[in-house]
Amino acid sequence: MAKTIMIVDDSASIRQVVSIALKGGGYDVLEACDGKDALNKLKGQKIHLIITDVNMPNMDGITFVQEVKKLPDYKFTPMMMLTTEAAEDKKQAGKAAGAKAWLTKPFQPQTLMTAVSKLVLP
Amino acid sequence: MAIQVSEKNGITIIAIQDDMTIYTASEQKARLSKYLHSGRELQINLAGVSEMDSAGLQLLLWLKQEASRHAIKLSLVRHSQAVVEVLELLNLTGHFGDPVVISANWNAA
Amino acid sequence: MSELDAAIQTFVQEADELLAEMELALLGLEDNPDDSESINSVFRAMHTIKGSSGLFGFDSIVAFAHEAETVLDQVRRGQRVIDGTLISTLLNCKDHTSKLIEHCLTEAEQELSQELKLTGESLIKQLGGATTKQESMPVEADSKRGSSETSETEGDTNGNDWVILLEFGPDALRNGMDPLSFIRYLKTLGDIVDILTSAPDLPIGEAMDPESCYLHFKIVFRGNTDKQGIESVFEFAEDDCEIRIIPPHSQIEHYLSLLAEPSDEDDAQVERLGEMLINIGALTPKEVAKALQRQSEDKAESPEQAKPIGEILVEQQSAEQPVVEQALKKQQSVKQKIAAEANYIRVDSEKLGKLINLVGELVISGAAMRMMVDRHGLSDVEEVAVSMNDLVSEIRDTALELRMVAIGETFSRFRRVVRDVSNELNKQIELKITGGETELDKTVVEKINDPLTHLIRNSLDHGIEMPEQRRAAGKPEQGTVHLNAYHDSGHIVIQIADDGAGLNDEKIRTKAIANGLITADQVLTKQEVFDLIFEAGLSTKDEASNLSGRGVGMDVVRRNIEALRGSVSLDSEPGQGTTVTINLPLTLAIIDGFMVEAEQECYIIPLSMVEECVEMSPEECEFDEIQHYVNLRGEVMPYLRLGDYFNNRKQHSNIHRESMVVVRFGQTKVGFVVDKLHGEHQTVIKPLGKVFEQLKGISGATVLGSGDVALILDVQGLVQFATRDKSRASIGLAG
Repeated sequence: MAKTIMIVDDSASIRQVVSIALKGGGYDVLEACDGKDALNKLKGQKIHLIITDVNMPNMDGITFVQEVKKLPDYKFTPMMMLTTEAAEDKKQAGKAAGAKAWLTKPFQPQTLMTAVSKLVLP
Repeated sequence: MAIQVSEKNGITIIAIQDDMTIYTASEQKARLSKYLHSGRELQINLAGVSEMDSAGLQLLLWLKQEASRHAIKLSLVRHSQAVVEVLELLNLTGHFGDPVVISANWNAA
Repeated sequence: MSELDAAIQTFVQEADELLAEMELALLGLEDNPDDSESINSVFRAMHTIKGSSGLFGFDSIVAFAHEAETVLDQVRRGQRVIDGTLISTLLNCKDHTSKLIEHCLTEAEQELSQELKLTGESLIKQLGGATTKQESMPVEADSKRGSSETSETEGDTNGNDWVILLEFGPDALRNGMDPLSFIRYLKTLGDIVDILTSAPDLPIGEAMDPESCYLHFKIVFRGNTDKQGIESVFEFAEDDCEIRIIPPHSQIEHYLSLLAEPSDEDDAQVERLGEMLINIGALTPKEVAKALQRQSEDKAESPEQAKPIGEILVEQQSAEQPVVEQALKKQQSVKQKIAAEANYIRVDSEKLGKLINLVGELVISGAAMRMMVDRHGLSDVEEVAVSMNDLVSEIRDTALELRMVAIGETFSRFRRVVRDVSNELNKQIELKITGGETELDKTVVEKINDPLTHLIRNSLDHGIEMPEQRRAAGKPEQGTVHLNAYHDSGHIVIQIADDGAGLNDEKIRTKAIANGLITADQVLTKQEVFDLIFEAGLSTKDEASNLSGRGVGMDVVRRNIEALRGSVSLDSEPGQGTTVTINLPLTLAIIDGFMVEAEQECYIIPLSMVEECVEMSPEECEFDEIQHYVNLRGEVMPYLRLGDYFNNRKQHSNIHRESMVVVRFGQTKVGFVVDKLHGEHQTVIKPLGKVFEQLKGISGATVLGSGDVALILDVQGLVQFATRDKSRASIGLAG
């Protein structure tokens, strides 16, 4: 059974690229465009990894991670934060909220796959 | 029902029919620990375990430790593919010492 | 000159030196293939050139040097044997690198020429490297490559297995960091040879929290990765896992060998221990950060008991004792090296030249002052003048010494020539070098190279015979060319001697007569016959073969050497070999002179050539006015009246007393008869203009303190003139 990964990002193009890469790597992908959308889409799904952007409308990434940590069925799911190079503080904030993994933007698809593989193999 | 308990020849057979992950570990621990005090031999049927993570593995390690502490026999039977994968990966098959029968209807790994 | 240009200039100079060193080392390796010093020096040359070329964006050099470096690295590790073929290839690589550097300097914008490209590719092929376009390989990649090579070659020994110790913290699972995921991923990078899973702190009974993590792992891992690579597998668990990575034995050796490597001269700086270990891959930045944190915590607790960082690293099992010790040793040696390097500075030779010019002027002023003091009889100033004069001579000597270099380096360059030519000609020739430590002025060294090359090639081409001939002549098959240098009375003597076939003076004589250089009835000493070789008329190629080729360009050789105020002579014994002796002044700028006066003209004789000064009294010397001999206390030598020689005056009055200065050149002594002796005089040589070039017996001029000009005598020329005159006279007498 393929593992499912959720990608949360307000940029459609990023969602698209990530999605193509992950699907190519043998994962199932669930896309969401912000925190709220993601929380809705989580319901009833078995998710093995959540990848989320930080800056998003409606609900930002940090808040979203904090919310996920409150959901009994999802609170132990590994989460990966997409940060930018300069935002070491965001990385730390993400870690404090519960997203222990991170990926620095911009990234090559290969870097994404390596980071994802450390947490979930297809 | 995630856990089915039956008895046969004085052996308590517990069939876990659920994932053994961090999400299920607390509940499974609570259910299983009851049988550690019965004084009877335990057989854990793992055929229905479709997914196992470190928490699930730890639970098995704990059960093994507790069983020997209470001097009861505990064996794992009918390992599912997911369970065998973990035991093999961590080189723990020997630790549990139970024969692993590879079932024909597992997916080709 | 922009800063970059200056840097490129430095690069070129450095590369030249490195390549010269490389060549020497390679030639040394031929005799002694296990000399690790030489291997290191060859490796370092390529390594450094690669590194600096990268900085300037000379990609073609980087790519090529990289291939050579890779091979040399293998040699250094003992993974590849260095033999004659490889040495030849590497010598060619050295040449090719020079060409690449030249290309990058002159036409960096343009593509490599087809020829250069092909040479490069074929060399890489000969090296056994890949022809792939590895444009610029970062240095890091090397260490990876090195480690992967070792694990491939010795993959079946336990010496190549990493040991990874993982202790997961209680929150790992709650954070979604499942140890299983990381281990599964690790498995994709290599082989998990063995894994020991344990949960030593697993609580008993109900105290066990199923959501906490109690798992510890000890993993024996084999894969083509480095420490950093392994650490990054677990990077997301950094807050939830204690990780220790113990490198395989081969890696430790690899680290040690990396540490043993001499650091590049330019970037030699005292690295901090941690940085050094990170650079070679023995430590990851995280491990160092952890150790540093512990150190500062310890310091805060009790400042006295804080341990050095090395000890902490060993304690936390991040690094191995021998590696840390080696690193500390290296740190120490780099410190020492920097201290030693601080003792040297590079100086533009132009600046040095200017200094020497100024010192020359100072010497003249000093002489002028002394003259004034003498003239005005200022006895109270005299003491000051004398002591200042001493200082000036000291300054002069020191300034000249700055330009003195040992001739050894020039000599060593000929090893390559000898090697190449003897291979080419299928002769066995050994080059023996002695007196390499003999020093002479850098400007002289630079100019002596061409004549030397010529003379040595002559010895190789025509002097040394083929092995069969040598055997037939009862000589060892291997011929010897001996380069020697020594100081002799203010001159440097350079000898090129071979034990080859030697010269036949009869043949030379015949040729010289045929060419009209001499007449058939002329009687010549053997030495005079050999001197004919340096005559222009005897230097055409056709005759060259008849005369074992000795004539080729020998007149050019002599002209070059004479331009340096030197002389060249040749001696040969048929069947025994030939010796060419070059006499050169140590410096071209200043000499200690002895001033004499004849017919109201002042002349300077280089002091180093003056044997003695004699008052001409009948008791001591006896003149033979016809044969121009003087018998000085029983020693017979030719003499020359300077006044007569330069003024063409045939008769001389005996009104005033005369003096004689005995000069020596080589083995020959000649007396110069003069009117007055003025004594020692520091002389700054001013070259004569073109007009006076043909003037015999004069090598230069100097300005006296009084503003007058004194001529510097070309003693050698005069000695030759006097002795020739003498032999002619004797012939005349005989006939």
